Amino acid sequence: MDGNIEFTMGLSDGLAWPWPIAVYLFFAGISGGALATALFLRFYKKQTTNTPFYKAAALISFVTISLGMLCLVLDLTNPLFFWRILVYYNLNSVMSIGVIALSVYIPLVAVIALFALEEEIRSIPALKALVPVIEKLKGIRRPCEVSVLVLALAVCAYTGFLISALVRFPIINTSVLPALFIASGISAGAAAAKMLAVSVFKEDLHSQDMKILHGAEWPIMIAEMLFIFMIVTSLMTGNAGAQSAFNAFHTGQWAAVFWFGVVGLGFGGPLLLNFATGKTFSHSAKAFYLSGVCAVAGMMCLRMFILYAGQLYAI
Amino acid sequence: MSENIERRRFLKCLGASSLILAPLGCSSVKEGESDANKPHYAMVFDQNKCTGCGECKEACNLANNLPEGKSRLLMEQHSGGLEGQSCPHCGKTTECGCERKFVRVSCQQCKNAPCVTVCPTGAAHRDEKTGIVTMDAAKCAGCKYCIAACPYDARFINKETDVADNCDFCLNSKLAIGELPACVQKCRYDALIFGDINDPTSYISKLLRVKDSVRIKPGFGTEPSLRYIPIVKLGV
Ligand code: SF4
Ligand code: SF4
Repeated sequence: MDGNIEFTMGLSDGLAWPWPIAVYLFFAGISGGALATALFLRFYKKQTTNTPFYKAAALISFVTISLGMLCLVLDLTNPLFFWRILVYYNLNSVMSIGVIALSVYIPLVAVIALFALEEEIRSIPALKALVPVIEKLKGIRRPCEVSVLVLALAVCAYTGFLISALVRFPIINTSVLPALFIASGISAGAAAAKMLAVSVFKEDLHSQDMKILHGAEWPIMIAEMLFIFMIVTSLMTGNAGAQSAFNAFHTGQWAAVFWFGVVGLGFGGPLLLNFATGKTFSHSAKAFYLSGVCAVAGMMCLRMFILYAGQLYAI
Repeated sequence: MSENIERRRFLKCLGASSLILAPLGCSSVKEGESDANKPHYAMVFDQNKCTGCGECKEACNLANNLPEGKSRLLMEQHSGGLEGQSCPHCGKTTECGCERKFVRVSCQQCKNAPCVTVCPTGAAHRDEKTGIVTMDAAKCAGCKYCIAACPYDARFINKETDVADNCDFCLNSKLAIGELPACVQKCRYDALIFGDINDPTSYISKLLRVKDSVRIKPGFGTEPSLRYIPIVKLGV
């Protein structure tokens, strides 16, 4: 008896947070990432028109955050209790702070989407009622854009902080997680918005904007790899709990999700498509879409892996 | 010699770290400072006395109207007989079938409770008068953040109410009418002791003064209020 008692059984039977939360983390990441990229680009290039990429990002951002909210609500034990989160607050809780951020972010994203899609809205008779609203809000467009940029990054980071507060899971309880979620949110969000910009909003595959975005892709991907590497090494060299969590990377079904999904699809896919194929193919529309899909799928796998493998290895 | 070095190093570290930690100390305590005048209810589980009969669990389910198949506590069996030793129950040295070592798994009533910190609505909260961690079912949104955050996996969703639940020492059922928690009342072997450890004259305080006890996973820094008196085998 070395002065200690332990127990391994728990009362909750199984995972507290199943896949809808992973999907929510995924959608929130895409939403924040897409909009942040578009606004960065807009401020950086001092754009004043609604570029195809900006339109696509605004649309994606609004749709994904709405779907994300849906996942969140449906995952409550009783979706009808949702109002309680909006009425009662506990400022010590990361979730409460996130709710406050989201309740400003979502309406602002809707406003940004109105600005961005003004032309389209004007051309659809059913949406005519929105035109006077757009006219009224035009005066505050700039402050809206600046605050939504901050909030978009905050939402990406918040999804990381939300789960990194769970002390008993070594894979999840790391301070790198918010940074990782910002980076992967930006890369997947940008990829999704790029695909939509080209397919729906008729952006030229080789336009100036696209070139800048392609260029930014690699440094962000390297940052992501670095963050993942940091988590892996800290687990590998950590205490007994951390070392047992390290098993998640080489045994079981979640290791497969990590290596095939996150590393293979997410990182390998875009890299091979861009650098290992001939110039004609790597510049083609097919390669463009394929590598976009890879980036988005890789990010979804990352969220799944962190949430499931993370909760599997508790200390 | 080596002891001396150890001690010197220890004192040095203590001095240095107190300089760093002192200013942090004031801000790192999230919940209300412990107040010596307020009670601090605690429970002792004596592993030497528990036979694993499970009557405490039945009493709890009854007292707190828990739905079928759910409990606020469970008993984890830690070991059957040890080979070559006689069973303290029946005396047999071969397979006797007696279950011997149990751990009571339930909310540890942390003084620094993660479930209270993370709950977005304040549904998981600390009762003002008693300091006991309990639930305000009318506020719980069922987000399960507290369940994921509890390092002891001691919370669950009550399927009847759809909200989270935890052992709160029968705060609203038994303590409210001046009785001991149902499990403590029911235990025939006196394996459970409950009381206020801020009151030096209480039985639990006296007991803890003379008995060695341990807390589970104290490394999480949650300061659990459940104490365990482990079975200690003497001799070889
Ligand atoms: S054991 Fe879990 S449920 Fe109980 S107070 Fe601690 S964190 Fe909360
Ligand atoms: S499930 Fe209920 S008690 Fe637990 S954190 Fe969510 S709102 Fe709070």
